[in-house]
Amino acid sequence: MKSKNTSRRAFLSAGLMLPVVGASSRMGLADTGMGLFRSPEESTGKASTPAKLEYRTLGRTGLKVTTLGFGCMITSDPSVVQRAVDIGINYFDSSRGYQHGNNERMVGAALGSKRKQVVLSTKTDTGTRDSMQKELETSLRELKTDFIDIWYLHGKDNVADVTDEMIEAQQIAKKQGKIRFAGVSTHKPQILLPWMAQKGVFDVALTVYNFSMDSGVDQAIATATKAGIGVVAMKVMAGGFKDIKPSDPLYAKLKTDGAMLAALKWVLDRPNVATTIPGMTDMDQLEENLKAMAEPFSKGDQRVLAAHLDAIKPIYCRMCGQCDGMCQKGLPVADMLRILTYADGYRQFALGRERFQELAAEHRAVRCCDCAECTVECPHGVRVSDRMARAQELFA
Amino acid sequence: MRAVTLLLAILATTGMASAQDYLNCGLAPGWEQTGPKRQYTPDNLFDYKDGGAEGYLAYGFVAMQGIDCKSGPDTMSIDVSQMSDADAAYGMFTANRDPNLPNAKIGMGGQVQMQSAVFAKGKYFVEIAQVAANPASDNHGMLQALVTRIADMLEGRSTTPETLDWFPKENLISAGLVPESVLGMRLLKRGYVAKYKQGQAFIVQEASPESAAEVMKKLRARFDGASDAKIGDEAFQAKAQYLGSICFFRKGSYIGGYANLPEPKDAVSQAALLAARIP
Repeated sequence: MKSKNTSRRAFLSAGLMLPVVGASSRMGLADTGMGLFRSPEESTGKASTPAKLEYRTLGRTGLKVTTLGFGCMITSDPSVVQRAVDIGINYFDSSRGYQHGNNERMVGAALGSKRKQVVLSTKTDTGTRDSMQKELETSLRELKTDFIDIWYLHGKDNVADVTDEMIEAQQIAKKQGKIRFAGVSTHKPQILLPWMAQKGVFDVALTVYNFSMDSGVDQAIATATKAGIGVVAMKVMAGGFKDIKPSDPLYAKLKTDGAMLAALKWVLDRPNVATTIPGMTDMDQLEENLKAMAEPFSKGDQRVLAAHLDAIKPIYCRMCGQCDGMCQKGLPVADMLRILTYADGYRQFALGRERFQELAAEHRAVRCCDCAECTVECPHGVRVSDRMARAQELFA
Repeated sequence: MRAVTLLLAILATTGMASAQDYLNCGLAPGWEQTGPKRQYTPDNLFDYKDGGAEGYLAYGFVAMQGIDCKSGPDTMSIDVSQMSDADAAYGMFTANRDPNLPNAKIGMGGQVQMQSAVFAKGKYFVEIAQVAANPASDNHGMLQALVTRIADMLEGRSTTPETLDWFPKENLISAGLVPESVLGMRLLKRGYVAKYKQGQAFIVQEASPESAAEVMKKLRARFDGASDAKIGDEAFQAKAQYLGSICFFRKGSYIGGYANLPEPKDAVSQAALLAARIP
């Protein structure tokens, strides 16, 4: 079990030995009329430093995309999208379901006449041929475009979630010229990506991927890439970051020492990933994230990420499920860790207590201090017996 | 201290339990529940909403409870999200409503369509979505009755945030809470934005006049060629590449202004009107 931690650390180190830019990538300079790292608000023509743009090929689509893309899901002001386009970012992602369609509307308005300069992706949440067709028409209208470059089936975490009817609807849309490429978005790359590689009908995979994940994800991504599937990474700064809320003592540390940028650079350092879609709400974030294309993943970044893995390790449950059945008293360890997070991480004590009371009576009665030795060993280093004891102290 | 915490927790839990009465398919005649009630918190909302969860978290999402209902071949989901406060719930509504459709008088505000409805009341944001066997069926009346009954059972205020009343109403398209980075600037952390046929206005409240003055100083430094304007305690106007003609002012702890107007003089005159409406 412990060897996994070691291998993850080694994996971080190994990143330094990988080529900074993938074989299919090229570097470009975009004269934006704005400095790359100067004050991020609009400029009126001061001398500028052009932004360094890195491009990679998105699998069999042949699309050349900037390695930094733009996840529009929480962007409220179109000016941020417009500036990203002017800088040269050329991959933008939305979804029919974001804010009941208002996100697509904002993106469509923001891109305006520059729509054809970019690769535009959106997603469908429905599952029948007719409903998908209807959603696609709405997406086209709201995004103010004749075609979607990549149309994802949204959030499919099991093979059974992707039906033949959905695949057929994507293929029909392709033949009609309403979409150029078919994709699937997933939070379970180990399950979906190898299957997609075999299936042969998908062009792009949008998958969670970040430095804190199990190395099995790397293998799944490699398999997909080998099959010609373009890989887009999301939640690149998640896992160890986004799950830490502002109320958590770790939050300030995670937000202040360049960890976010290091995490983004870590993903861009993987040549099998064509582009990424970090969410951006303001010019400052855009400016910060641009650095990921200009600066290689460094030893300093490696140290930052390794330190953060250590920092979150004792408390951060990754819900990998490997502790299932390990407790000699039968405790649902992952569930209890999650319940504890309500109180410790989000200051939602009442909610934590409510969930604890929903556990089986025999589990609520267990006291970890009664066991001479804990049989649960977390592969990611969570101090399970300490955390269980705290949950019992708080809620029982 | 611990006893107080425990007492507060018990009170909160009791409140949550009684608030669940609205999760009842029977509130709509002919509908019955199918499957168990679902519950989500900030750490697992992604399981239900995927990337859309970000939009909830940005508005201070606390918890969601929902049920699925059926009536013959038709299905309907009811999801009730508890946000951090009423302003956040209203902000969630404004982010999710269709700006091209009129609002209905449900709680603080709502919209009812042929097969869907959203509204906010108190700290709750409610979403109802139907999947009808006949995609063209118009269930507006049934949904209107359902949301009215649910709204009656939810606690909390039915009035919109006071700040929204300060925006001039002429040519107003929509107004709502932006939870972070107003106008795409991190300095303007959280505030209200009103979209007009031409341009947009904003109001942000800082903790004190001093901190507002500090933010104004930093804002001004970001716009080349900014010049003074005589509004409130301090103000400046400028032309910017993405925000067009702008005029920002400070009045006490409030920072407000206009952007995306064609000429600086337009921004200044509009900003002066807005400042006069802020108490």
